[in-house]
Formats: sequence, C-alpha cells, structure tokens
Amino acid sequence: MRSLFYGLVALGLVGAASAPMPWSAEELSVLRTLWIGALETPADPSNRYADNPQAAELGRALFFDQRLSANGKVACASCHEPDHSFTDARPVGQGIGQGGRRTMPIQPATYETWQFWDGRADSLWAQALGPIENPVEHGFTRMQVAHLIQTHYGSRYEALFGPLPDLADTRRFPERASPVGDTGARSAWAAMSEADQALVNRVFANFGKAIAAYERTLDLKPTRFDDYVAGLFGEGQPVELTTDEMEGLQLFMGKGQCLQCHNGPLLTNGGFANTGVPLGGAGEDTGRAAGVRAALADPFNCDGAFSDAKAGECEELDYAVRDELTQMRAFKVPSLRGVAQRAPYMHAGQFASLEEVLDHYERAPLAPMGRSEIHPVSFNRIERRQLIAFLHTLDER
Amino acid sequence: MWHEQIDGAETGSWKRLRTIAAAAFGLTLAGAAAAATQVRDPALTRTSEQGQFRVQISSDASPIPMRRIHSWTIRLADDGGHSVERATIKVDGGMPEHHHGLPTQPEVAATETPGVYKINGVRFSMTGWWVFNLDIATPDGRADTVTFNVTL
Repeated sequence: MRSLFYGLVALGLVGAASAPMPWSAEELSVLRTLWIGALETPADPSNRYADNPQAAELGRALFFDQRLSANGKVACASCHEPDHSFTDARPVGQGIGQGGRRTMPIQPATYETWQFWDGRADSLWAQALGPIENPVEHGFTRMQVAHLIQTHYGSRYEALFGPLPDLADTRRFPERASPVGDTGARSAWAAMSEADQALVNRVFANFGKAIAAYERTLDLKPTRFDDYVAGLFGEGQPVELTTDEMEGLQLFMGKGQCLQCHNGPLLTNGGFANTGVPLGGAGEDTGRAAGVRAALADPFNCDGAFSDAKAGECEELDYAVRDELTQMRAFKVPSLRGVAQRAPYMHAGQFASLEEVLDHYERAPLAPMGRSEIHPVSFNRIERRQLIAFLHTLDER
Repeated sequence: MWHEQIDGAETGSWKRLRTIAAAAFGLTLAGAAAAATQVRDPALTRTSEQGQFRVQISSDASPIPMRRIHSWTIRLADDGGHSVERATIKVDGGMPEHHHGLPTQPEVAATETPGVYKINGVRFSMTGWWVFNLDIATPDGRADTVTFNVTL
C-alpha cells in the first residue's frame, strides 16, 4: 500500500481526485502508454512529400477518383469508406472482383511501417500502389495511372514533382502496361525501354506518395477511453467509465493478456502473429511468410530506387525477420481503436462479431498452418460482457 | 505450459528456445525451486556456456523502448578479462512463453573500440520475458554461446 502511495505521489496523482484511485502505480503507467496522447505520426524518410499540403490535396482527389480502375467504378474510397472508419463492412474487399482479405482501416496505418495484413509493403505510399494493379481491386495498370494523371492532374502533378514524361508518344508509352498485369499489360511493358519503364515507375511512385500524404492527414481522434486516461492524469476533465467498462479494462490488462500484442497507443505492437484463425476466404494464405519476401523484393520499398530515404533510414526493412517458417500464417496485429464498430474480424473477416472473436481466444485452436502463439483463456459470461464494454470505450466518435 | 502443435516445422532459434525451456523443466523436476529463477537470471554480464568469454550487454536507450528499433552494446572479453576483437557474433532469441522469436533480425557490428560491438535493429513488441542468444566465434577458433534474459 505504501509503495502504491509513493507511486501515486511520483505520478502527481495524490490529491488530484476525490474518488479512490482504482489503479496501482504500475497499472497507471501502463494506462498512460495506451493513451492517444502518447501517439506521434512518425516521419517517413522514404516520402519527401509526406507532409506536403499540396501533395495531400492532390492525394485526396486521387483517393476518391473512380477513373483509376478498369471499369471506372472503383476508387480507393470504394473499400476505404470515409464514413466507415475508412474500411467497409465486408469480410473481404470488393472491387472489380472479390478479394481474399478484409479491407484495413487507414488511420491506424498512417502511424505504422508495415502495411497490408502480411506487411508486404513498408510504407503508406508503397501500399497505395498495390490495389491499383490488383486484378480484383482496381484492375488498372501503372501506365494508365500515368496517362490519367497527365490528362486530369497534369499541372498539379508537375508543380509538385516536376515534368511528366512525353506520354503522348504512344509508341513509347502504350495505353495499358504493367510488369504485374495480365498478359497484354505485361507484354506491352516488356516492349518498353528500361528508361521509359523507370519514368513510368517514377510517376506511379509519386502517385502513391501523394495518396500517402493525404492519408497522413486522417488523424485518429480521442475516444472515451482516452478522455478517461487524460482525466486520470489531470490532462482533461475527469471522465468516469461504467463498472463494466472498468472491469473490462482490468481484464484487458490482466487475465486476458491482451496487452501482450495490443499495446501502445494504437493498441497494437505493429507486429505479426499467428493466432490460429480458421482459413477463411483466402484459403491457405501464408501471411507474413510470403509478405516479407514480397516486401524485400518490392521495387517501391524503402531501400528502392524510388524511395527518398538515405542509407540507414530503412531499419524496419533492413532488420526484418526473413525466416519464413517462423512467420507462417502470421498476420498483422490490428489496432483496436474503433474495433467494436468494425465487424467482421480477422484478415478474411472470419468472425462476424466480437463474441466470436472471444470464442476463438477462449478455445485457442491449433493453427491450420504454422503454429499458433496464443494460449486458451476462459472468460465467464459476465467477463465477456465486460471486455466488450471496454472495447466500446475505444469507439470512434 | 507448452501449447504444442503437431505440424512440425521448426527453426534453429525455435529449437534453442525449446531446449532452454526443456532445461528449465528438467531442473524444476530435479526439485530445485530456485531453478526456474536461475534460468531467468536477469544478469546482463555473464560468462559464456563453456567459459570462453565474459559478455556484457546493455541497451543504448533507457528506458528500453517498446515498438521502436534501437541498438544495444556488447562488451566482449576472454576468460582473462582481455578485450576480444574481430569476433563474429550472431544474435537470435525470442519469447519462450509465446512461441515466437525476435520481431526483428538484429545484426552485430564491431565498433572502433576493441571488444565493443553493437547489436543493431533490436525491437521489442511486448512486455514479458525475452531471451537473447549470442553465438560468438573468433578468428583463432574459439566459439561459445551465451544466453541473456531480459524481462520488460
């Protein structure tokens, strides 16, 4: 008890509140690490336009532009819906066709290095390029992106990034071309000179950097949980949580051991874990095992020719775990901010509700591939209600 | 305590974690209540398993950061206390209780100071018991291993 008292003195809390303090000094220091006030948008040395307002403005226009698709109907915003936390309510994304994985919300991603459920991109701008050329998402090609930018955004692009190549020369720059597209797009790409391919890749990279600049303006907002923690530390008006919410928070930090992966102000460790979830829509999806290989080979990664990073500034990529067996079917640990508003859950929307998620963590079944990292845990009916009540304090408002 | 699965694939680092855990289990069976504690000895200055080296490690950032890449310093001496230069040091490790290795693949580089090396690229993703294994080899043929426990 005495150590608790001194802990509170050290934290400046004694005398700050009239109600008895329900948390130990150690718990308080943990709560503070979960507070949104501890969150900072990291620099992105690979994107020199990351915080450029004109780039963000251009990126916003591109983000909502449905012409960036094979059928003229799919924009980034089609799946990343602004009024739905920049995700959708589907188990797997729906663009030109049906994808294999759940659409991820954008705001938490702006604070993280690894993108996609498998971390196959190491920056927001590299991420933005992937869906454009995915046949079931935008079904577009980078060559078409360059043409569209020249036609509709030419002066804004050139004011930021410098002159566009002479895209009107259709012998050098065909209508559709990409190294990862369908047969027609690939053969058109292969017929281009390496120098012209690099020019188009440069436009494509800049396109991604503008979208990333826009995405970085989409801040996470404080939740009731943040207001509660702020109140504990005298950073705002005191806010009370209900008994269920308080008990749920205690379970989250204690018995549930949720903090082991869902820690820090994003309530994620930014890593990858195999939690033994069922196969789901993407079937035998190896997750991070394939993702790390793709990230290392990506010409648009932090160490690549189109990155603005200097040597030594790509630590996450340079020190990425390359071993694939240990990362088999590991998927990104998602942020829990807004989680209760974001059903369905897991990388392929395997679980329709938080109740089903808790069922899974209680059972901790064997993984369909690789090795699950989780241990079974048992919650009674009241504890389940309390945990879910706590997760609702993370709702976006 | 071990939530085993039947599928199989194991890496060297995982095998080592299992070996450590098996050793811990064996010692506990031997009846020494202190054995588990001993296995999780937090000392950051240790003698390597075969007694070849004295090794000290320390985080260059204090407090040890979470979710952020940072470096550690290794001070390497022989059994007589003399600095050991030009050693090749490999790092692996992980969390024995959670079936996973390190979240990054740190690399060791020599510094200009004899016997001082840097572990670059360390990142911790959660609190709890972490293990670092250092495989040390010198050009004159000495080789040994040392294990550190870091509880965050």
